[in-house]
Amino acid sequence: MATHAITVDDATYQEVRDQRLLGFLFFLISDVIVFSSFIYGYIYLRSTVMAWPPPGIEPAALYMAGVNSIVLFGSGATMHYAMEFFKHGDKRKFVGFMIATIILGIGFLSGQAFEYFNLLHAGTTWPSSIYGASFFTLTGLHGFHVFIGVIYLITVLIQAQKGVYTQQRYFGLTAGALYWHFVDVIWVALFSLLYVWK
Amino acid sequence: MDIDVILRVIAFVGAVVVGLSALQSLVAEWPKKGLDDHVTKIMLALLALGCVSVIFVAFGIFPGIAGPTKG
Repeated sequence: MATHAITVDDATYQEVRDQRLLGFLFFLISDVIVFSSFIYGYIYLRSTVMAWPPPGIEPAALYMAGVNSIVLFGSGATMHYAMEFFKHGDKRKFVGFMIATIILGIGFLSGQAFEYFNLLHAGTTWPSSIYGASFFTLTGLHGFHVFIGVIYLITVLIQAQKGVYTQQRYFGLTAGALYWHFVDVIWVALFSLLYVWK
Repeated sequence: MDIDVILRVIAFVGAVVVGLSALQSLVAEWPKKGLDDHVTKIMLALLALGCVSVIFVAFGIFPGIAGPTKG
């Protein structure tokens, strides 16, 4: 199948880019609303019980979650550096930081899988209590977003290697960076709510 | 050494490194005026806040916030 490159002038591209950016930000806002709904549900459920977690339910490990959080936050920093190096035309460092971001994202998911394994082993399951249900729902929803983000970043990296993006036109990368920062920031809220709030 | 101590040290060191990187990036990003730049600034500031939260956890200051009155 023949492919046709679509060429547009800079002014048209800028206009299209701004519209895409706005659309993407609306998507992120809609995702914030989704998370807010679940967070509200968590706060409501938590405020209606006498003890949290309920007696006999093993809570998630705080310090392990702290380390895992830093793995995710670190990926946010590497993502930012990757973007900056791309903008400045340093492709080698861009690729290095993108790979670091992807590895850290996978590391976070592995840490979460380890945490799930420990909790399930200790008897804290989805149907075991409202604690288990809300914990697995919130962290699972976030973990799914991280998983999608990792796939997106791998795709963007492959596209960048193929020369799809240039130093002047790289909206796919910008969207990837914004999405990854969003996933980081949501975790700041979830970490505070699920682990720090006593 | 206790595993919790090791995890707290890793969390603290990581939070300091990542937090400073986020702040440095925020300062570098500050003069930029694009919509995506403004969003990035907010994200980096919140990222730094998350690192502060982890530092507090590593030092045992958090968790120490009382929840709403039960019952």
